[in-house]
Amino acid sequence: MKAAIFLILFFVSLFTFGQATISGVVKDEKGEAIPGANVSVEGTYDGASTELDGHFRFVTAETGEQVLSITFVGYKSFTQTIQLNGQDIELQVVLKEAINQLDAVVISAGSFTAGEEKRRTILKAVDIATTAGATADIAGALNTLPGTQKVGESGRLFVRGGDGSETRTFIDGMMVLNAYGAAAPNTPSRGRFMPFMFKGTSFSTGGYSAEYGQALSSALVLDSKDKADINQTDIGLLSVGGDVAHTQVWDRSSVSGKVQYTNIRPYFGLINQEVDWIKPPVSLEGSGAFRQQVGDHGIVKLYGNFNRSDFSLYQHDILNPVQVKAFEYKNNYGYGNASFLQSIGNRWTARGGFSYNYNEDDVVLDGGPMGQIEKGTHTKFVFENSVSDQVELRFGAEHINISYEASRLDSLSIQQVLKFNNPITAAFMEAEAYASKQFVARAGIRSEYIGLEEKISIDPRVSVAYKPFEQGQFSLAYGRFRQTPQNQYLRVNNKLAEEVAEHYILNYQVINNNRTFRTEVYYKKYLKLVKFVNGNPGQLTNSGTGYARGFELFWRDSESVKNLDYWVSYSYLDTERDYLNFPVTSTPTFASRHNFSVVGKRFVSAIKSQFGITYSYSSPRVYNNPNEEIFNGGRTPAYQDLSFNVAYLPKPFLIIYVSATNLLGHDNIFGYEFSETPDSNGTYVSRAIRQPAPRFLFLGVFFTISKNKSINQLPNL
Amino acid sequence: MKKLMIISVLSFCTGLLFANDKYEKAMQANIDAIYNAQSPEQIQAAINSFERIGAAEKSKWEPFYYASFGYVMMSTRELDGTKKDLLLDKATEGLNKAKAIRADESEIVALEGFVYMMRVTVDPATRGQQYSGMAMQTFGKALSLNPNNPRAMALLAQMEFGTAQFFKAPTTSACEKATKSLEMFESYKSENALAPAWGKESAMRVLKQCN
Repeated sequence: MKAAIFLILFFVSLFTFGQATISGVVKDEKGEAIPGANVSVEGTYDGASTELDGHFRFVTAETGEQVLSITFVGYKSFTQTIQLNGQDIELQVVLKEAINQLDAVVISAGSFTAGEEKRRTILKAVDIATTAGATADIAGALNTLPGTQKVGESGRLFVRGGDGSETRTFIDGMMVLNAYGAAAPNTPSRGRFMPFMFKGTSFSTGGYSAEYGQALSSALVLDSKDKADINQTDIGLLSVGGDVAHTQVWDRSSVSGKVQYTNIRPYFGLINQEVDWIKPPVSLEGSGAFRQQVGDHGIVKLYGNFNRSDFSLYQHDILNPVQVKAFEYKNNYGYGNASFLQSIGNRWTARGGFSYNYNEDDVVLDGGPMGQIEKGTHTKFVFENSVSDQVELRFGAEHINISYEASRLDSLSIQQVLKFNNPITAAFMEAEAYASKQFVARAGIRSEYIGLEEKISIDPRVSVAYKPFEQGQFSLAYGRFRQTPQNQYLRVNNKLAEEVAEHYILNYQVINNNRTFRTEVYYKKYLKLVKFVNGNPGQLTNSGTGYARGFELFWRDSESVKNLDYWVSYSYLDTERDYLNFPVTSTPTFASRHNFSVVGKRFVSAIKSQFGITYSYSSPRVYNNPNEEIFNGGRTPAYQDLSFNVAYLPKPFLIIYVSATNLLGHDNIFGYEFSETPDSNGTYVSRAIRQPAPRFLFLGVFFTISKNKSINQLPNL
Repeated sequence: MKKLMIISVLSFCTGLLFANDKYEKAMQANIDAIYNAQSPEQIQAAINSFERIGAAEKSKWEPFYYASFGYVMMSTRELDGTKKDLLLDKATEGLNKAKAIRADESEIVALEGFVYMMRVTVDPATRGQQYSGMAMQTFGKALSLNPNNPRAMALLAQMEFGTAQFFKAPTTSACEKATKSLEMFESYKSENALAPAWGKESAMRVLKQCN
């Protein structure tokens, strides 16, 4: 008898009676049917997919309390507790759209992002390396975007009426001082960081996040690559030197290192140069990176870079060019940074790091030694919390310390030293909230305490974006930004306050099917700029002011013509300042009213080559002619450049690369220097500041050695 | 009391046996469905079934593998790059779940390489270098986990063939691999009744272009 009961129980455990039919319809918020949604009784096989009309129907043998779930890509999952007791169930379900999808609105005012993985980006990481005329320099490539001005004698990023020092570089969130290499006076410098190191670049021409401080005009945020996937050795033979790099990969970590030697001497022997070199630049550079994955999503990154370079030249007197002064220069540079990223639970992410900067310049001018040393540290922690799908909160704190010392021997051979130590402590908080797929707002606040100035500042940063149509979207941004004055002024007056800029930006952008159109209007107000009292550089105040306003256009199309990718940028800039030695308000010498560039790239598979071409135009810049009454009354000729490059891939692991700038040999003049004293006729004699050589030619051969022979260095060029 | 013990143990075992049978039956039906699917809707329906089974059977890698395979199949038919990427994101999601259950399964790793191969097709000019290298390396890893996996060999042959064609290099090595993969398809035997069985056609397609 007992056995019989157990037997019955045993069968009951296998075959349950009382099946129920669950049916219904799944629609979106607009009442449209959703086909292909997955309807299931959680933890069982029972379920169905919705039909084209959104209907579903299935039979389940489950009983009791169960959870019914409905999921579909791009929508929030729907779950409901149901009671199964043999009765049929019918449901009408509305799925809500998930917001963080590819087609949601994003804040685009002021920012250009370039990444490998992100699909809705204006630039791709590889673009930075393959733009003709950029010679694989990050700033060179970004100079083809709207909002920048070509300042040929500097090579730095000048953004919207700001000078080169107003653009701050960050690597993995950590600040970089002296981001540009050493260069002779009035010759362009190159960025110290090679584009191939980075998986993503975000270049902001204004209105950036409260996370980034100590930048008046622009933030260049570089994200270094994650763990490498492939063991490889790269060798480059260049017309100006050579490099060797190696990457070693393990399961959870990777190490890579690169050594580069640059010697322009043989090149300068061949091509006439504007500069009278005694010893043209030679530099030795090494960099190394280590990556370690931690846990499921965490990563620790270490990066280090050192550079040693030197050169010497003769400076010719303007009045009497035969009279020369020897100028010898040595630069020692080191940068190291350690950063981490770790998720804590589902909702929190912690990231942060530490960076160390060291820069030493030693100059001997006409036998008199002088030099400067700058050391900087930066420590930062940021916490991010996804409060919900729609709201994200970010807050953090950082500490920056800059110590600076300049010394020189005066005419009595007594050492004169100017130095300062400036600790800066800052905290920020920012929230980003999506009201819908069409509307997003970001509000942040940043507070800084400047040790030298002994003052606390509080700055708001706000942006909103609205996407009324399927494609186009509007963004608005406002923010107040500040930066301590440059070392050369702060060392004279340690009590100088931070310079301040306010940005107002309106942006419209459409990205559709590999075509991008973008336009931006902005107004920027400068306050508290450094000013000389009565033109005396030994007496500095913060009474300078200025403004910049303009509009910009950008068009990129990689769709219309097969294998052709091109972009066109135009910037209009109207800017004036009353700062430094300006006796009256005037346009600064680095600003040009119109900047225009066209970049084209085409891969021709028949000859296995990629061709690139870039044309740039900048309208005349002002210069001050002491022979004239009007301050900054002179006008340089317009700047023009046509550059070309070609990368030929005869074998998958071999690249031959040739590039040439200024093919047409346009005589670009960036400004004029004048003699300190007038000549016998009472006029100040001028000398044009030209390009160091009319053209720059570069030839390189690059090999990649790896187990897989199809890998080459094209992404790095 | 003894009887009770025996019966409950028996009941438990039969239950397990039936459960396993139920799993294999459900899987087999859907595997047939996905191999024979004609439209994206049919593939999606099969994927949904695999996802339901996967959610119920927490220790089986096959449901996630096949769901992921379904998304890769859909991506091969999709022309829009953004949508293709979305499908490949879903495929990767499934692969990550499968890998969490069985990290050293050659079939999962081979499918991962397939995903990289499809990523290249979205934007060959900018993605080619990175993803083709990753795909090749991943196929190599799949073969080191199981040297007899014909799918890993066939995919490797396909990838090598495409690269050789692009560089106008000899396709000899790629064609040898395609031939070898066909031999491997013939002799391949798995203890797992639910083991994947696709891929022979693509090897034959490569071989056709070789002659």
